[in-house]
This record gives sequence, structure tokens and C-alpha cells, in this order.
Amino acid sequence: MFEVIKKGLETSLQDYPGRVGFLNQGFPPSGPMDSWSFRLANLLVGNKVEEAALECQYTGPSLKFESDHVIAICGGDMQPKIDGTAVPLWESILIKKGQTLELSFCLTGARTYIAFSGSIQSELWLGSKSTFHKAAVGGIDGRAIQEGQKISLGNSNSKIGKKIKADVIPEMSKNGVWEIEVVRGPNDDWLDNNGYQTFLDAKWKLQARSDRTGFRLDGPLLSFNEKATNKSPEHGYEPSNIIDQGYPIGGINLAGQTPIILVNDGPSMGGFIVPFTVPSASFWKLGQAKPSEYFKFKEISVEEAQDMRSYQTLICSEESII
Amino acid sequence: MATSVLTSVPGNIWKVLVSVGDTVSEGDVLFIMEVMKSEVNHNAPISGTVTEVNIQNDQEGVNPGTIAIVIE
Repeated sequence: MFEVIKKGLETSLQDYPGRVGFLNQGFPPSGPMDSWSFRLANLLVGNKVEEAALECQYTGPSLKFESDHVIAICGGDMQPKIDGTAVPLWESILIKKGQTLELSFCLTGARTYIAFSGSIQSELWLGSKSTFHKAAVGGIDGRAIQEGQKISLGNSNSKIGKKIKADVIPEMSKNGVWEIEVVRGPNDDWLDNNGYQTFLDAKWKLQARSDRTGFRLDGPLLSFNEKATNKSPEHGYEPSNIIDQGYPIGGINLAGQTPIILVNDGPSMGGFIVPFTVPSASFWKLGQAKPSEYFKFKEISVEEAQDMRSYQTLICSEESII
Repeated sequence: MATSVLTSVPGNIWKVLVSVGDTVSEGDVLFIMEVMKSEVNHNAPISGTVTEVNIQNDQEGVNPGTIAIVIE
């Protein structure tokens, strides 16, 4: 068990791949934004990659432990310390009864995962422990962790000193520019050639008004095909309006002239076009980007996106633990 | 003794509530940042006089760990 001393900005329980299969009822998958780091953290503490762990965003929590426990911290560098002494990322470590784990602001990346040997005790909701706080479901009481909460853990039976092979640790952007893969569609034919090329050539700035629902971007104006400008009235009046449709997870929604990437807690449907979609294998980069950093999009095929996902599944396995 | 107040998150400065020369009490809100559609208050860690303000309203893209305000 541990007690939450400081909650951090928004620290929540997530599992992998989250609440999959309920988008048709309006429930997004939730789950960790950087599922690469998340899965490696679970492996380090001897858990299955799917087990629930904590996602810390921008500023991490302080947790006081009431028993000895093996944990691992993976993802952005929130300068983790145990009772004031720095501890490593990407390694299984022991925290003792009475000690406090303290995370601070992110030096690199934006999200960090704390995995606990034996996982965290929480009820499944629609098959997942992931927190979806907008509907107050999943996780611990349906919301981010709160100061004073005592949270129960499973049995810790893992070894310390396990590490991740250096070449499978995700590499954070050093210059504040992230190359994000996209696949075309579903509504790419609503942009004209110029609009399509402008989208791929531009550097898009991530707005601070972004969260696990959507990532809002600033950049150039996009131009449209006649399909967008000369259409039947039920589609709506803006060129980017379309008759309501289902949205893919990772869809880049064009709201007027603001692209919004619909991420883990995003909406299931709406009336804006989605000219491009970010594949799941690239989500980890979205999760590690800070506001005012830049995205440069690179178009890939669906097959290439599937290969990227297969590669991530392959390396998020025992083979990567030393 | 001078104490620096650092930004705790990456994001925008929404409102700066103090100026150089102001007297503040421990716990007073000094400035508010905006990130993840949330307001993040930054409070005075000690009581004293504000001697430096290095941020301004609507400043974008401020890194975490930036020395925002100094109190003596």
C-alpha cells in the first residue's frame, strides 16, 4: 500500500490497451498515451504488459510506501527521488516501508509511468482498469489520484536491478520537433492538393490547451476541394464540416482551421473532417511532446503503420529485459 | 534570503498576480499557468517581498523549472 502525499498535475491509473471495443457506445479506449514506456515499466517489475500502472503527466506525484515494494519508472524524466536520493529510470528498484518516492517536473518528455510489482488493486469497468475521468469511470474512484488516498498493491515478488536494453528505450526529441507518422484519410479528399501538401510541409505547434482528449495544433491555413465548399446543407457551413461520422482513434480532426488530434480519451463521433490519422504506434510521441513543441507529419502507408506496431509489440517483451 | 519560485509544468503563463515590490504571504497565489485545459496555481513558498518577476501574462511555451519569481 502507498499513500498519496502529493498528487501531481493529473496522475491516473491506466492499463493496456485500455477499454477497447466500446467506442460505439461513446467510450474511448483511454489507456497510457506512451504505451511503449508503459509496457517496458510493467515488464521490469515482472508484470504482464497489460497490468495497470500510474500515468504521471508533466509533474509527478509523491507517494509514501507502507511496505517494501519493487517498482519501475519509465518514460519522461521527472527526476525521481526516494527520500531525496535520485533513482534511475528504466530499472526495477526497491522502495522500503516508510520511504517516499517523489517525482518533480519533466526534464525530458511529458509523461512518466510508475509500475508496481503485482500491479495496483482496482476494479475492472467494461473490462479495463483505465481511468476515463470525463465519465468518472475506471481507475481509482473514476478520477486522478487524490492527496491522502491510500492505494493497495498486489504482492511484490520481483527482482531489483533489471534493466532495459539501451536500443529499445524510446528516444525523446532533443530539439523540440517530433516527426509524427500519419496515414491518409478517411476524409483526405476534402483537402485540395495544395492543402494536403501544406499539411505535410508545415511545422505544427502543440497548444497548451491540449489534454488526453485532443491535441490542438497551430499552423498554416489549409485549402479545400470543391467537395468541401460546394456541398448539401446537412453537412454544415464551414468547409471542414461534414455530416456527423464516427472518428478513428488518432484521427486528425479539422475544426475550422485548427487540427485537433483525437487521442486516448477522445470523442467517438462528430461533424468535422478527418483528413489524416495518427497510427497507434506513433502515439507514444504524442504522449511525450510538451506544449509549444512542434510536430512534423510524415505520410506512411497502412502496411507501414502495422509494421511499426508489430515491431513495438515485439520489443515490449521479455527479450528486452537484461 | 532569496527564494526562487520555479514553473512546475510546461505551458503558458495565464495570469501574473504580483509585481516587484509587492509583499506576499506564504501560500498566496503568485501566478497561474495554463496547461492541459487546466489552471495550475503557483503559490508563495515563504512570506516576503517580490524582488524579481521574469514572466508576463499570456507568455507561451514556458519550460518547467524556469525561475519565474524571486521572493526575499
